[in-house]
Amino acid sequence: MVRILEETPGDPTAIDRAWEEPETFCVLPAKGDVSAQWVRAQWELLPERFERDHFALLTSGSTGAPKLVVGERCRAEALARLLHEVQDSECVAEAILTLPLSYCYSFVNQWLWARVVGRRLVPTLGFTDPARLAHTLEAARDGMLCLVGAQLALFEEHLPGRTFPGIVRLHFAGGPFPQARLERLAERFPNASVFNNYGCAEAMPRLTLRRAEEADEPLDVGRPLPGVELRRGEGGALEFRSPFGAVALVEEGRGRVLDPEEWIPTGDHGDAVQGGSWRLAGRKGDVFKRFGEKISLARIRESVAGAFDGEVQTYREVDRMGEEGFSLLLSPTPSDEDVRAVLLALRRKHPRTHWPLRVESVERLPRLPNGKVALGELETLEGKTLHWKNRI
Amino acid sequence: MTNHEKLRDLIIDTFLLEPSEYSLELRRENVDTWDSLGIVSMAVGVHETFGYHFTPDEATGIESVADIVRILESKGISFAEG
Repeated sequence: MVRILEETPGDPTAIDRAWEEPETFCVLPAKGDVSAQWVRAQWELLPERFERDHFALLTSGSTGAPKLVVGERCRAEALARLLHEVQDSECVAEAILTLPLSYCYSFVNQWLWARVVGRRLVPTLGFTDPARLAHTLEAARDGMLCLVGAQLALFEEHLPGRTFPGIVRLHFAGGPFPQARLERLAERFPNASVFNNYGCAEAMPRLTLRRAEEADEPLDVGRPLPGVELRRGEGGALEFRSPFGAVALVEEGRGRVLDPEEWIPTGDHGDAVQGGSWRLAGRKGDVFKRFGEKISLARIRESVAGAFDGEVQTYREVDRMGEEGFSLLLSPTPSDEDVRAVLLALRRKHPRTHWPLRVESVERLPRLPNGKVALGELETLEGKTLHWKNRI
Repeated sequence: MTNHEKLRDLIIDTFLLEPSEYSLELRRENVDTWDSLGIVSMAVGVHETFGYHFTPDEATGIESVADIVRILESKGISFAEG
């Protein structure tokens, strides 16, 4: 059996207590459609040996269906100690939580890291209560903050013009690194060192480390952490082996114990670049051929992000000739000038075969409980405004 | 909107031009995006906007915006207003 901990936003004490007991537990998101009953049924698909000294979290599989990922506590603690060392984090006195702890990145990179090094943990309700969040951030002293890039739009919307000099470390994961917004970040967090914390739930969660200033491109995720190996697998899939990674998972009704020698797909495509760093080419499915030319949607989003100061998303579609394509979705609604800048960026940086089928916008993107954009909802989203359409 | 204005918007939209790049004298060789797929896209746009289908020979023989105007005028679509 696995113990179910229903997440209580802003209050991690149940998780604190559970970590001190040997019984394996699973943190169930406060928002979401996964039930305790479902988790228990999935757990039956794994060997009994995982019932002690482990923990389990939920993530989305490649089809969008929930996936149960199992970590070993001693591995996760070892990762937290390593992160503390390689990220030069001795100066950090407190970790401010703005993401739900059911999210692997938040669980390990904030809650567990704080616990392992005796750092004060300051829970908040994030942007559910922006005024309180602003107060907490303004009162921070030598604080660390883990964000997903999509939250920056929420800072702009809810806390315009506010600055937080007490934050000294700013970490990003869970989406494209906000390279184009570094100057603005420096204004809002004037004393923060900014890091790109790439990884995935199966890595529990970290794989690489990159300081913002070490590269100019958002898709550069930096070098693997000590002990972590990355490789370019079949078809360009980025795969890893890590002594800190998950030990088992249950996906689509199938339990699987992960072999320590096994190369595990990150779900992204990527390549090694000079100096030992790695560069993402996008999510699996983000790379495809249109009119015989390979397209990386991650590269296209990167180009557009340099021309539009909002969020840039894409979703796959087939054009009227049956050829694979995609649409570009901007948020918030751009001005005519913004749209012109986006189109000119596409012209300057990409051949016509890379252009979207449509450029659309919505005022607000749909979100998952962890703050990430609900990508599965983009295609059928209502209320989109059409700004430009491709005629081929 | 006049036919000249419609055509200007279509050409800017099809080849992703800066408005300042557009003129009646604009030639294919001066537009990096006026490629084979661009020709198809422009032909679809002309049909949507003016209701005329270029023949394949007409479409590939177009060398400038002025050529488009000439062909459309020969089909009874007037640009005299602009």
